Amino acid sequence: MKNTLGRRNFIKLTASASGALVIGVHFQSCVTGKTPAKNFEFLPLVTIDTEGEVTLIAKNPEIGQGVKTSLPMILAEELGADWKKVKVIQGDFNEKYDEQWAGGSYAVILNWDLMRTAGAQVRFALITVASQKLKLPAAELISKNGSVVHQASGKSIPFGDLVKEAAQIPLPDEIEFKPSDSYTIVGQPIPQVDLDKMVSGKMEYGIDIKRPGMVYATVRKNPVFDGGISEFDSTVAKAMEGVIEVLELDNKKYGGRLIGPNSPNFVNGVAVIANSTWAAFKGAEKLKVVWNNTESRKENTDEIFDRFHAQLSNTSIEREDGNFALAKREAASTLEKVYEVPFLAHATMEPMNCTVDFGDEVCEVWAPTQNPEALQEGLIKLFDLKPEQIKIHLPRAGGAFGRRYYVDYAMDAAILSKEMGKPVKLTWTREEDTKHDWYRPGSVQKLTATLDKDGMVTGWQHILANASRKTSLGREGRPAGTEIDEYEFPAGFVPNLQFEYGHVLSDVPLGQWRAVAPGANAFPIQSFLDEMAFKNNMDPIDYFLKFIGPARMVPVVGEYEFDNARFIQVIEKVRKNSDWDTSLPEGQGRGFAARKMSGSFIAEVVTVDVLENNKVNILKVDVVVDCGIVVNPSGAKAQVEGAILEGFCAALYGEITFKDGATEQSNFHNYRWMRMNETPEIHIEFIKNDLPPRGLGEPPLPPAIPALTNAIFAATGKRIRKLPIVSNFDT
Amino acid sequence: MPSYALNINFERKEVIADSDTPLLWVLRDVLELTGTKYGCGQGLCGACTVLHNGNPIRSCSLTVESATKGEITTIEGISENSDHPIQMAWMEMDVPQCGYCQSGQIMSTYSLLSKNTNPSDEDINTALSGNICRCGTYGRVKKAVKLASNKMNK
Ligand code: FES
Ligand code: FES
Repeated sequence: MKNTLGRRNFIKLTASASGALVIGVHFQSCVTGKTPAKNFEFLPLVTIDTEGEVTLIAKNPEIGQGVKTSLPMILAEELGADWKKVKVIQGDFNEKYDEQWAGGSYAVILNWDLMRTAGAQVRFALITVASQKLKLPAAELISKNGSVVHQASGKSIPFGDLVKEAAQIPLPDEIEFKPSDSYTIVGQPIPQVDLDKMVSGKMEYGIDIKRPGMVYATVRKNPVFDGGISEFDSTVAKAMEGVIEVLELDNKKYGGRLIGPNSPNFVNGVAVIANSTWAAFKGAEKLKVVWNNTESRKENTDEIFDRFHAQLSNTSIEREDGNFALAKREAASTLEKVYEVPFLAHATMEPMNCTVDFGDEVCEVWAPTQNPEALQEGLIKLFDLKPEQIKIHLPRAGGAFGRRYYVDYAMDAAILSKEMGKPVKLTWTREEDTKHDWYRPGSVQKLTATLDKDGMVTGWQHILANASRKTSLGREGRPAGTEIDEYEFPAGFVPNLQFEYGHVLSDVPLGQWRAVAPGANAFPIQSFLDEMAFKNNMDPIDYFLKFIGPARMVPVVGEYEFDNARFIQVIEKVRKNSDWDTSLPEGQGRGFAARKMSGSFIAEVVTVDVLENNKVNILKVDVVVDCGIVVNPSGAKAQVEGAILEGFCAALYGEITFKDGATEQSNFHNYRWMRMNETPEIHIEFIKNDLPPRGLGEPPLPPAIPALTNAIFAATGKRIRKLPIVSNFDT
Repeated sequence: MPSYALNINFERKEVIADSDTPLLWVLRDVLELTGTKYGCGQGLCGACTVLHNGNPIRSCSLTVESATKGEITTIEGISENSDHPIQMAWMEMDVPQCGYCQSGQIMSTYSLLSKNTNPSDEDINTALSGNICRCGTYGRVKKAVKLASNKMNK
């Protein structure tokens, strides 16, 4: 394994007044690997008090992905702590923590070395003190369960009795990490931090925040994207019991439509401030607003998709290997299919909300967010604040899935608190939340393969047309990026390969949705390969294995190589675990898909039963995951289960549509989620190895969708090329 | 505004609220019992589930006025120290992800197990399919319901 050394210059030990050992970390340098500049600041990450209690700050926001448990586990492992004596508290936002956002399944990837370094360096200091006290060589001592132990003699000293002196110990330049086969915390299914609070209603989410003197607010936003306000009449609303004030949220007053990339402005609307949430909600019902939609494109879904289709023939080339045109001329046959994926909303269980106390000196914010960096940036730009005037707390978020990467709702709350001169808790209704999301972009994707006489692929062309989430709100010009990455599968696997992108302008606000581009693109890619297998009368897994070829490192782009041996291993295992090669009763079928994402390799087989009324009954899912070391099997399994179910929800029902420039869906009755009675059994196997841990929150999602649609094909002969699945059956 | 006497978690509480205020907002904003969650406000998601005379109801869809008749139990009322067998089962199975829907899941389970000490998969599906979990914890919820019923039958 690379990176087995934890370097001293990221860590500083000090003693607190009470004699506790405080472990400070310099975050930037640890993540980048560079030596920190002079005068840099160490932020406290861990304290060990004289009772041996270990208190750890969880720096990344907890949005249900389990980082508040997994990151501390890594540190506690290297330290040799007693997990029962470890307390984890949520850290506030601090720009010096570096990379405090949550997304892209990156938390463990980014913090693996940092957490191990901090743990290992402190272990060194504790062992050094113990060695002096016990008059035994340090090499014979280990740290275990919160004590330094001399195994030969059984002598031991608890951490609490070592911490006072430990702060004085000079740290080594480099220290070796523990070998993974000696782990006692990492790799154990440890129940997550805060469980007791979550099962008793005591967990404080953003929506539960209460501040002294606080008032409550909600908003009515222009349902039409990019619209404004002509006039509004608040007389009736204001006369209602409990309503305190009605305020306009006009983004022209705050620098216009856009603040900056990934730091979006807010949508124009009207806010009602009241003495309770309900009074605000009721007041908002009574607002009479005349919206100004002259600048809106007033788009409809059908028309947007027509433009996507048209754009397939007006593209830019994003990657070109070999000569696809030549491969096409020389091909024995070709296959060409067009797939459609819809727009999706996030629908986090906890609707958007934020509490702000905009004081004269400090703007204090309680935000369920994935992206405190963007929140800080937004506040600086909106109100001309200095970073030190902003204090951001990170309460647990009731789901995020990419939605809380955007901070529009927090901007709303900040404006209202400033204008009211009071702390304001803003709660969006579910309806506002659904209508003012940053949607996963829909797309049209055309795939063409050229085949030799044995039906194997000689050339591959993938054309994707849509409005990119990397533009903002229909801004003119080329987007900052496309929806087809140069490392999209099967780049590196096919000699003649061409990726093309056709960009369409749209007003629809677009954003990250769990598993982003792979979540949208795995369905066309893996359906297409399944179609090829059937065209050749081959078993889909046999065909796929032949397509990816032998175990080897496949060069994809630059330094990035794809370890095909790990890919083959998960595929072969899932074939076995799912009894792939046995037959099924009439009406049932199995579908397969596999994918690498965020460094993890995933293979899935879905078994379905399609009933006579075309109701799709998902019977079971077999999944094999190679994500390197599994830090917390319980949390890891939860991520796999959640991602797969989310893929199924999206595949079966997920669709946001637009009429005259506004979202048609509003709540769970017309934006449907799976229920318990629709949930299949999910069998998960993790490959055991000691490679560095990789992401898990997203990777299992993309293959779940094509594995399901391929299973429906196996069961019924019906090929799904347009999501959601329900739109293919007249039920 | 009128005043109402509510019977919540075996305590009598006087609240002042508009008669059409949903119980949910009285619990959350007035009584500071924030364990009951707002998810949809339309009786569609189950996040706001509490017990009304032992039956699971959506507190977003019951007015404070109607709630005066009978006993209300919220997540805060099922144990002092998070040690009800259902809560213990939930912790053992490590059920929550974001956790936001879990009060509702637990209250629906509480009602189910008070009437049916040995629920089948079918029974569990029927009792809990009104509770959406956006994070997809359904598999674990189901296992935890069974574990809780075992614990309670001992
Ligand atoms: S908030 Fe009551 S059912 Fe959703
Ligand atoms: S645990 Fe997040 S919604 Fe259920």
